[in-house]
Amino acid sequence: MRDFEYIAPKTVKETLDVLDEYQEDCKIIAGGQSLLNILKQGLMAPEYIIDIKNLEELNYIKFDEKDGLKIGATTTHRSVEFSDTIKEHYNVLSEMERHLATVQIRNWGTIGGNLCIADPTGDVAPPLLAMDATVIIANKDGEREVTVLDFGVDYYETVVGPNELLTEIRVPVIPSNTGIAYLKYRIVEGDAPIVGAAVAFTLNEKGACKKARIGMGGVAPIPIRAEKAEKMFEGEKITDTLIEEAAKVASEETTPIPDIVASAEYKKRVIGVYVKRAAKLALTRAEKAAN
Amino acid sequence: MSNYSVIGKPIQRIDGYEKVTGAAKFTTDIRLSGMLWGKMLRSPHPHAKILNIDTSKAKKLPGVKAVITSADTLHIKYSNWRRYPHLMDETPLAEDKVRYIGEPVAAVAAIDEDIAEEALGLIEVDYEVLPAVFDPLEAIKDGAPQIHEGPTVKNNISEARHFEFGDVDEAFKKCDRVREDTFYLHPVSHAFLEPTNSVASWDLNGRLTIWTSTQTPYFIQTLLAMVLGIKEGNIRVIKPHVGGGFGGKMELFSDQYCAARLSMLTGKPVKIELDREEVFIATRRRHPMYYTLKTGYMKDGTLVAKEAKVYTDGGAYNAMGPTSLYLSGFFQIFPYTIPNYRYDGFHIYTNKNPSSAMRGFGGPQAEFTCDSQIDMIADDLGMDPAEIRLKNGMKPGHVIPGLAKVGSCGFEECVKKAMESTKWKEKKGKLPMGRGIGMGCYGFMSGGVFNWIDSPYAYSAAYIRMNVDCTVDVYIGSAEIGQGSDTVAAQIAAEVLGVPMEDVKVIRGDTDSCPPDLGAWGSRQTLMTGNAVKMAAEEIKKQLIEVTASLMVPNVVYDFDIKDGRVFIKDRPERGIELAEVVKTAVRAREGQALFGRGIYTPHGKGMVSPAYSFGAQVAEVEVDLETGKVNMIQVTTAHDCGQVINKLGVEGQLEGAFVMGQGYALSENLITDEGKVLNPSLIDYKLMRAPDIPDNFTSLMVETHEPEGPFGAKEAGEGLTNPNAGCIANTIFDAVGVRIKDMPITPEKILKALDEKKKKEGK
Ligand SMILES: Cc1cc2nc3c(=O)[nH]c(=O)nc-3n(C[C@H](O)[C@H](O)[C@H](O)COP(=O)(O)OP(=O)(O)OC[C@H]3O[C@@H](n4cnc5c(N)ncnc54)[C@H](O)[C@@H]3O)c2cc1C
Repeated sequence: MRDFEYIAPKTVKETLDVLDEYQEDCKIIAGGQSLLNILKQGLMAPEYIIDIKNLEELNYIKFDEKDGLKIGATTTHRSVEFSDTIKEHYNVLSEMERHLATVQIRNWGTIGGNLCIADPTGDVAPPLLAMDATVIIANKDGEREVTVLDFGVDYYETVVGPNELLTEIRVPVIPSNTGIAYLKYRIVEGDAPIVGAAVAFTLNEKGACKKARIGMGGVAPIPIRAEKAEKMFEGEKITDTLIEEAAKVASEETTPIPDIVASAEYKKRVIGVYVKRAAKLALTRAEKAAN
Repeated sequence: MSNYSVIGKPIQRIDGYEKVTGAAKFTTDIRLSGMLWGKMLRSPHPHAKILNIDTSKAKKLPGVKAVITSADTLHIKYSNWRRYPHLMDETPLAEDKVRYIGEPVAAVAAIDEDIAEEALGLIEVDYEVLPAVFDPLEAIKDGAPQIHEGPTVKNNISEARHFEFGDVDEAFKKCDRVREDTFYLHPVSHAFLEPTNSVASWDLNGRLTIWTSTQTPYFIQTLLAMVLGIKEGNIRVIKPHVGGGFGGKMELFSDQYCAARLSMLTGKPVKIELDREEVFIATRRRHPMYYTLKTGYMKDGTLVAKEAKVYTDGGAYNAMGPTSLYLSGFFQIFPYTIPNYRYDGFHIYTNKNPSSAMRGFGGPQAEFTCDSQIDMIADDLGMDPAEIRLKNGMKPGHVIPGLAKVGSCGFEECVKKAMESTKWKEKKGKLPMGRGIGMGCYGFMSGGVFNWIDSPYAYSAAYIRMNVDCTVDVYIGSAEIGQGSDTVAAQIAAEVLGVPMEDVKVIRGDTDSCPPDLGAWGSRQTLMTGNAVKMAAEEIKKQLIEVTASLMVPNVVYDFDIKDGRVFIKDRPERGIELAEVVKTAVRAREGQALFGRGIYTPHGKGMVSPAYSFGAQVAEVEVDLETGKVNMIQVTTAHDCGQVINKLGVEGQLEGAFVMGQGYALSENLITDEGKVLNPSLIDYKLMRAPDIPDNFTSLMVETHEPEGPFGAKEAGEGLTNPNAGCIANTIFDAVGVRIKDMPITPEKILKALDEKKKKEGK
């Protein structure tokens, strides 16, 4: 690992100034769970490391019935996992976190860091995609809101510029009669998933599908939605047959990258299985919510 | 018989508290004042000539104290094969050629790790890249790149092993059926949690002390002496607690040599610690093997003849490969009786990191193929796989012509117990699609008869001192590496001398104070070191009984025993003397000399392999996800015959740990290389099983036999248990979904593909 200068700004404003000054020469560190590996492997050699882990300004979980959920970027996986607010209103996030990596990593790793590293297999993005979440990105001159769908650019690449900071994750209020589920496939527990699927169904008063969202991880250079499959549900009564068919379409919407663990064909096939399973679980949950 | 005080009981490990609380010191915890940090420069090429090495820039870097290359060595080839010099093919640092990516070329000592690392970048090595070969089947072809020169190596075959008995060709002709299968066994890493590391310190008296994470302190001592050109007696090897070895720490390695050499050159202690990536790319691994098995059998399931042919991917150096190759051929005929057998094994060099000993020592490969095939034979014949195993299973006293004499053997009882405990008869063939039950069996050695290192000493030895307060100091040279062997030694001494466990202290892991012992490999320490400890303790016991006899003057002189702090007349236990009294009197009577006992063990007249054999049977149940091919382990039951159990907790721990290791071998672990480069050199990408992946239920059954050669009748319980797992899992998967995977590891993707093919065939 190359030597670097360590800077720990005390406020968000100060952070944005420092980022603006060093731009490409610096790299943000939050929990360090991903960045340190990258530095150790020599894949990156920044001159300055900007530590944002202690920015208490960005460590929060807030909820109100109008704007929904707001999570500060440096909130740890573990805090999200245990938050009563999240358990009450967005339980799928708590479930997702409980099975993300290991306790040690969840204690350090942050939800913002997870999104910014943009590992396509990351657990955080698929459920956020299923809930139409957005993120706030700030720089010295102001901030912008970007959907999680538009956040990823390519493999390990996002829209966050070198002078920018992700500050907040926003999740809209979940409509009534909604069921959401996230399921992932891996060979060894505690590992990052090979593929993951999050499905959200909102039912109308007749019990048919009012809105469907399918977020998928590990099946393209960035986390993606299965938009064609989503459309198949909307307005329809959700049946097992429809789920099977839509899962096949979702699988066709993917372009997985083969690696040493699994071939592209295998990932394509397994995501179909997981979309199906997550859809069934989401449906059960939606029906339960409607009753 | 089983009226023991500590033998056979569930005894807490004597290092348990230290380890659980983190107080235990490992080599990595050793920090000496003025200590330098060493780092190794490694080859980036799988095969290349070294034209020139320029270390001048590195030497000039402030903070660098020494840089060494092969020019600073005595150019001595070494390895554990001292008795068979033609197999010694390694040098401490690459001489004129590098043969695998990661091979050490130079080493640096500097005042801190960062400077040492920076210095590596300043060493200039001119390589001429040579064509390389990675697959043993390619390497044996005429015209393949030759990895080693020399008269004994042709077509990269460094060693061939052949054994044969019976009349194989005739026997095949008489068989009702013959089947031939080919298998591929993949490479895996030992993945011990404590990376290879050492601290060496050269002193002004010309003596060297090295703290190192090893399974074989004596090998390190004697081989270091050889390559450094100093006396064995001037080298002190200290083995602190060791975080696992599994066969990957039983040889002298370049980093140990370099730490020592750099310390000699600088006069300062030098620490070298491999990082995880180095451990994966440049330490040892388990042998990949291409295995062809031909077996002839009768319609009633009797196995008649077998022929096995093995091409093993040895990597760039022999390491312990020739023994793995030999033992794989040997364990191929365990635990089933085969009257006619022919084995041809070839150890082939390739441009990859050397394969070597790894828990099971050739056995896991043998048992996977043997046990997969016996299930296929049972399937052919419509027989219950358990029945065919019972029909052909070894019995006590079995003789393998020219190779081995089996003493005790509880194989049949193991199979029966495992069947009964798992309700085999009720489940086999009756579980729903996706769920299966299967069996794997094994036999293994309790220590090797081999002495490749050419030690003139006994294989194991022990000294025991008994103090006047009845505390007992046991000095042994064997290596506790997590398996619990120190606790076993303490139990044996406690039992013989009638003292409680807490009064026994084990002094070990220091060649200055402990007798030489061949160390931890081949599941040898309970039997061999155990026998030495028992002999030493009995020598003291004899002295104590002599004194008691002269005090009590009984009718029959030696009919005494010691138990729970008393020496008493065997037939009249109420008549006796407190042990403490006897010990004090004995010490006084000997002009104040402490009581001292010495013990040794070396096997005699036990054939070519081992003094005794363990046996066992394993039954597993799995669930296979039919849509993804993922295997979920539900339960595992192992019935193990380790003779007399010494420590029940220890055996249980080994049985469970071995299964988890075998589960990883069968299902997920794979040291993947491309053109000789390891693609997954980290614990993130190398898929070890973790706590949530292990079976929901473990059952460990112990079948007790009495092994005449073992201490108190004990045999091994360390490695044999790793051998049946992969075959057992493969058989279980076959029972669950009807597909047979012969190409390891059994990944979900392979299962799914095989299921597709099966469906296609059935659809026709
Ligand atoms: C062994 C292991 C197992 C893992 N398993 C899983 C798993 O199962 N599922 C899963 O999803 N993840 C897994 N991970 C990844 C881990 O969860 C995330 O990568 C981690 O949470 C990232 O957060 P961090 O705070 O540690 O980020 P860091 O490592 O500190 O940073 C990651 C990247 O994001 C940038 N960054 C961080 N915060 C910000 C910000 N606020 N604004 C702009 N840029 C920022 C950094 O510059 C860096 O490039 C695993 C990691 C390890 C080491």
